[in-house]
Amino acid sequence: MKSLFIRQLYAERQKGRKKHLSLLPLCFLLFQVLWALWQLTHAAPEELETGYLLLFHHLPLMNTILLPMLAAVIASRLCDMEIKGDTLKLLYTMQKPAQLFHCKFLMGLKYLFYFTMGQGLLILGAGKICRFTDPLKWTMLAEHMAVTFTVSAVLLAIQQTLSLLSASQLLPLAAGLVGCFLGLFSLFFPTPIARLFIWGYYAAFPAASTDWERDSKIVRYFEVPFPMTGFLLFLGTVFIIYLLCKTLTVRKEV
Amino acid sequence: MKPVITTEALTKQYGSKAVVNCLDLSVPAGSIYGFLGPNGAGKSTTIKLLLGLVKPNSGSIKLLGREINEKNRLSILSQTGSLIESPAYYGHLSGFENLQIICTLKNVPETEIYRVLKIVRMEGQKDKKVREYSLGMKQRLGLAAALLGNPGLLLLDEPTNGLDPAGIQEIRELICSLPNRYGMTVLVSSHLLSEMDQMATHVGIIDKGQLIFQDSLAVLHEHSRLQLLLKTDNDDRALQILKRSEISAEQKGGKLYLRSAEDSLVIKAVSVLAASGVGVLRLSEQQMSLEDIFLHLTGRQVSL
Repeated sequence: MKSLFIRQLYAERQKGRKKHLSLLPLCFLLFQVLWALWQLTHAAPEELETGYLLLFHHLPLMNTILLPMLAAVIASRLCDMEIKGDTLKLLYTMQKPAQLFHCKFLMGLKYLFYFTMGQGLLILGAGKICRFTDPLKWTMLAEHMAVTFTVSAVLLAIQQTLSLLSASQLLPLAAGLVGCFLGLFSLFFPTPIARLFIWGYYAAFPAASTDWERDSKIVRYFEVPFPMTGFLLFLGTVFIIYLLCKTLTVRKEV
Repeated sequence: MKPVITTEALTKQYGSKAVVNCLDLSVPAGSIYGFLGPNGAGKSTTIKLLLGLVKPNSGSIKLLGREINEKNRLSILSQTGSLIESPAYYGHLSGFENLQIICTLKNVPETEIYRVLKIVRMEGQKDKKVREYSLGMKQRLGLAAALLGNPGLLLLDEPTNGLDPAGIQEIRELICSLPNRYGMTVLVSSHLLSEMDQMATHVGIIDKGQLIFQDSLAVLHEHSRLQLLLKTDNDDRALQILKRSEISAEQKGGKLYLRSAEDSLVIKAVSVLAASGVGVLRLSEQQMSLEDIFLHLTGRQVSL
């Protein structure tokens, strides 16, 4: 006999039938593949010598622009069926609101995991196809993927809360779009202010940075140490934000 | 009969407004309990309170003999089925797939789906997407979902809302058959007294959050006492004379009624009117309608 939580997760899977949700991370990934192809085919040979560093520098920026929207769309697709079908009042007679929140979040995480893994493969594939000469540091790849996944996860929790609390999905999707812009603009803010905007955190833990020589106009990519303490603090914040989101959703009477 | 639902001083307030106010419900086992009241009286909130979807400010709830709390809520509710307000469904899935989800959550074998689909006569539409269903079909699917697992108690909130007359009749017959065929107790809310008259064995009437009547339907009908329609050549003057003589009378819809059909009172009324020179043209007996009973209980005219 399956445990209650496993059954609830299975029910989420049953609800997702015919929704083709796996296409969402695939579409966003495809866009990034096209972007990477364009970027790398236009790169100077000396840039390809540090190709992995180039990707580790550019992809967080790309993620800042795209992933808040991906999180918003995934959350909206997962929650919209409950709002449209007015199912919460039925579901809450069979499961605890908090458990529904956890199950939905785990389902959403699955698609973010697909995307993160896909992006990892994109980096590996780009290195092989474009013949980067610098060696790939696996720790850098793992750190990049951990940051991408964690920031996306906290955005998913926020978006899921908005989607479950809103009668229409327009507001959460608009919030996702605003998040994209906020994240992007926060990159130009002074660091203490930029840290207030969670959407910009994709670029807050960079694995690589750049140095631009004014005279030669050459961009040089170099590795920067991963701010592990900062990341662990961020993980703690993610946990608190998740609990807040869950509490807000559970408190709503249906 | 032992009560299946008992509430004591159940109260729910939004701000300073009590939507449900000191409600003492008692629903006997095996009954069809008609929970009546005008729109906004607090019926849906009461059902949501019973299901734990809304938290009460005070009072207690016993379902199936156990006092409900946050820890045992789901375990008690696993023996109940519910249909609250509009039907809940996943439009992109078929009726069968919708019921599969409920089976998973209720931990009920999927073979049950065929049984409940047969009860609500929806075997033929099980593979159609629910968004293509009519409202009546969605309502029947909701009922099928509520019946999964053969619960001992069904809570149905206005299950005939939005249905055509044929659909209403069908749902009504289905609800009526449940206690005898499956040993269920059914609490069904409605704002239509006439509907309850055809379905319920027991009735609770709620108005402005307060229970103003609770007993068997037979007892409710005892309130449906006779009254006399009195036609005179001057009804306004006749009313004044009757009131002056302390004879209970009232004017409704331009017609004059004696509130009691007691012989001595009728003799007294006719004599007084004749002595005052008011001509009595006609006297006829009239049964109180259920709307009149509601008016009698609440003192308010409502559309039921």
